[in-house]
Amino acid sequence: MSTRSAETRVELLQGTLDVLILRILRLGPAHGHEIIKAIERSSEDVLRVEQGSLYPALHRLIKRGWIDFDHGTSENNRRAKYYRLTRKGRRQLDVETTKWETLARAITRVLRPA
Amino acid sequence: MKGRRHLDALDDDIREHLERETQDNIDRGMTPEDARAAAHRKFGNVALIKEDTRAVWIPVWFDQLLQDAHYALRTLRRSPGFSAVVVLTLALGIGLNTGIFGLIDALLLRSLPVRNPQQLIALMRIQGGQSGESFSYPQVRFLAEQNEIFLSLCGFSVDTFNVGPPEALEPTGGAWVSANYYQTLGLVPIAGRLLAPDDDRPGASLAAVITDNYWARKFGRDPSAIGRPLPVEGVPVTIVGVSPPGFSGAIVGNAADITVALNVLPQLKPERKSMLGVGGRWLKVLARPREGLSRDQLKARLAIVWAQYLSGTVTPQMSPAARARALSPTLDLRAGATGSSPLRGQFRQPLLVLMGVVGLVLIIACVNVANLLLARAAARQREVALRLALGASRGRVVRQLLTESGLLAILGGGLGIAFASFGGGVLVNLISSGSGPDASEAIALDLGTSWRVLAFTTLVTVTTTLLFGLAPAFRATVVDPNLTMNASPNRVTGSRGRLASALVAAQVSISLLLLIGAGLFVQTLQNLRTLDRGFRHEGVLLVNVDATRAGYDGTRLRAFYQQVLANAERLPGVTAASLSSITPLMGGGISLPIAVNGQPIASGELHGNLVAPRYFETLSTPIVLGRDFTLRDDATAPGVAIVNEAFVRHHMPNGSPLEQRVSVVGSPRELQVVGVVKDAVYEGLRQTPPPTVYGAYFQSGGGAVTLEIYGGGSLAQAASAIRAEVQPKLAGKLVKIQTLTSQLESSLVQERLMATLASAFGGLALMLAAVGLYGVLAYTVVRRTSEIGIRVALGAQRSQVLGLVMRDVTRMLALGTAFGLPAAWAASRLVSSMLFGLAANDPVTIVLAVALLVMTGLLAGYLPARRATKVDPLVALRCE
Repeated sequence: MSTRSAETRVELLQGTLDVLILRILRLGPAHGHEIIKAIERSSEDVLRVEQGSLYPALHRLIKRGWIDFDHGTSENNRRAKYYRLTRKGRRQLDVETTKWETLARAITRVLRPA
Repeated sequence: MKGRRHLDALDDDIREHLERETQDNIDRGMTPEDARAAAHRKFGNVALIKEDTRAVWIPVWFDQLLQDAHYALRTLRRSPGFSAVVVLTLALGIGLNTGIFGLIDALLLRSLPVRNPQQLIALMRIQGGQSGESFSYPQVRFLAEQNEIFLSLCGFSVDTFNVGPPEALEPTGGAWVSANYYQTLGLVPIAGRLLAPDDDRPGASLAAVITDNYWARKFGRDPSAIGRPLPVEGVPVTIVGVSPPGFSGAIVGNAADITVALNVLPQLKPERKSMLGVGGRWLKVLARPREGLSRDQLKARLAIVWAQYLSGTVTPQMSPAARARALSPTLDLRAGATGSSPLRGQFRQPLLVLMGVVGLVLIIACVNVANLLLARAAARQREVALRLALGASRGRVVRQLLTESGLLAILGGGLGIAFASFGGGVLVNLISSGSGPDASEAIALDLGTSWRVLAFTTLVTVTTTLLFGLAPAFRATVVDPNLTMNASPNRVTGSRGRLASALVAAQVSISLLLLIGAGLFVQTLQNLRTLDRGFRHEGVLLVNVDATRAGYDGTRLRAFYQQVLANAERLPGVTAASLSSITPLMGGGISLPIAVNGQPIASGELHGNLVAPRYFETLSTPIVLGRDFTLRDDATAPGVAIVNEAFVRHHMPNGSPLEQRVSVVGSPRELQVVGVVKDAVYEGLRQTPPPTVYGAYFQSGGGAVTLEIYGGGSLAQAASAIRAEVQPKLAGKLVKIQTLTSQLESSLVQERLMATLASAFGGLALMLAAVGLYGVLAYTVVRRTSEIGIRVALGAQRSQVLGLVMRDVTRMLALGTAFGLPAAWAASRLVSSMLFGLAANDPVTIVLAVALLVMTGLLAGYLPARRATKVDPLVALRCE
């Protein structure tokens, strides 16, 4: 379990989970639990994700054609679904990343004027 | 679609995820229980997550609808009695509406099954403010030549053909058509060929096109039937082709199985060849105008060529009045997509009135169902309160309750369509009962389900759902969960009394309106049946004999009929017999311009008939002055005539009628009036008897006659004896036998339809309203059990308790009557043209209807009221 206190954790913004999933899958196919762990790890446990909300997000991305999945077996020989980025998803990730950076820069400038 | 299948594995995926997380936690040193709990905590609400995931693929409303339907089905199955009553009530209401609308669709709305029917127009002839749709053959031929206006134009009419060998004649519906009939309609044969202009020439070889229906019925769709000769009116006619399935002629309601060209009429029915001349106006006209012509352009061009045609028909010898009359008709046009039908004029208004009636019955049925649902909603208050307390929104609960209503309506609608398909046949039979004794004249309407009927039923079902479901649903959700949950389970909080009472009062007023309507129609039928129209019909048999086809004419014809008549008089059971050219109510008459003492009568044409001796005796029409015709009044004797009292009143004001003479204008032969008879109607029962002149048939008659035979007992034997004697001598022409009573009933088909259906629906409405009243009161009594118990405990008498409930009944009945009477008054004015012998506000009918309604209402209210008096105060109070 995370050892950080509640004040330093941030609720995930609406819609950002989708971008995070795309970003994680950029590194290669992963199954559901791995994706969540990767998000928690790479955000240094700052982002609090209700793990279950991963599933509606995955289905949303499949429906849009940004990710797809294959059946496979995981490291300890368990059945698992491996999600992977489609070409369309890769393009979308670039779009979303640019959008996100623009937004983040703008907000930073407002909050901390130079 | 891989994604959707993905959804099916969601449960496994989530379980897999939780196991991994649990394992991770155990690896971090937690106990298995803590690890599992922590994993769940971190995952969130599994049910909610699943719902959110489903929502990605399946729209939420649809998902909820499925849930609601599922839940509704379960609820309805739990109370099968309630569900059955509701579904049956709705099926009745929806079925009646679908049935009547189906008939309206088939008769008034449906397009002919031809190419681009919306391009067709029908021509109408306007003269003296009257519009008619009938044209003469020369007019049709002239109009068909107007190529710059019409791509194609045709004239047609239906008829009955006697088909088959002489010993087994079968009357069959047929049509006479002009050369371009099939071309105008744009039909393609499914076998052989259709009629072409070459078939419509004087003396052309005889060719017939049969319908697909007839081909299937008579030949089992045998291709070798094409080219075979078919005996029609005793003459072999070659079947050249079969028209496409679904097509049965351009006249809706009269199926024409055999179609032949107009120009071969003299070969098939030589006695009627004059119908092709300028005098016979009997053809309906449909045309396909040239494209790009607006309606106004079309009318303008038609007016020009029509004027040319008319100017060609006047001759220099004509009097100025006759010339003006010949030039006066004008043309108009209407959309021709629905073809033509003589039934429309007769049944349009009755069907529209009946549509209104069944609409009202449906409203009453909906009110009953709404009341049932209200009662149930009250009983389900705790359930609803629980759902609201658990966080369901009010809208969501209303939707759930409406889904239940919708399900009931769909079940009712489905059953209703089944009812309607059965009832539609019954309706067509009712209408058909007026169309004569032959199967060939029966009315054939295609009641097959059309998209319009389906759309109508769907609309009715949806409206019904909202009508009966909305109020109870909203009412049910107006509950305070706190209050309801805390109340005792046997108590129902909130009042629904006022709404339910208002609904019942509405039912009462609608029932009153329908009862008054039914009373008016029944009374109209009764008035027409019992009216003294100057002849008797009971016990009179009519035998239609036409010897002209067999080659008889003039003196030989009259001698033949005299022999037939003499034989008929000698038959056992026959009291009196005669014959005539026209019989009362046969559906037509002879009109002649008449002169009295050489002076033509100003008012135009009068009714005429040719009759044999004893005609007035046979029909029990009294001779008030002078004598009857005798057999001595023959062709060699001085001309004689008998007139009726109306004739004397109008045209012989001075001197004894027996000293005066009448003649047909233009004929040199004067007829001495030898008798005066009482008035009798001919064309319709509603008609006032017209001034009538009778000539002696054996003096100057010709053409087909009808024997009238009167006898005390059954005349079936006499009928078959006459047929056995006469038929062999008349090859190719069937002897038709029917009673005068059935001829009279045929003329009352519209009135009978209205009386039968209006009283059936009125009775149904009354029954539904009584059930509604009973239901509401029974429920009120149950609800007020404890109140009544207290009253009884405090010393209230039985009569006082009875009065308590009956006061409710009286109030609802009074309210319903107060609204129903003005509504009935307004509605009955719409049908006043259909009534006879009474006014739309006939006081007797209204009083009877109110009395029937009040009595039924009091009876329906008395049962629950009596139950209220039986309330045991101890039991009632213990319930608290």
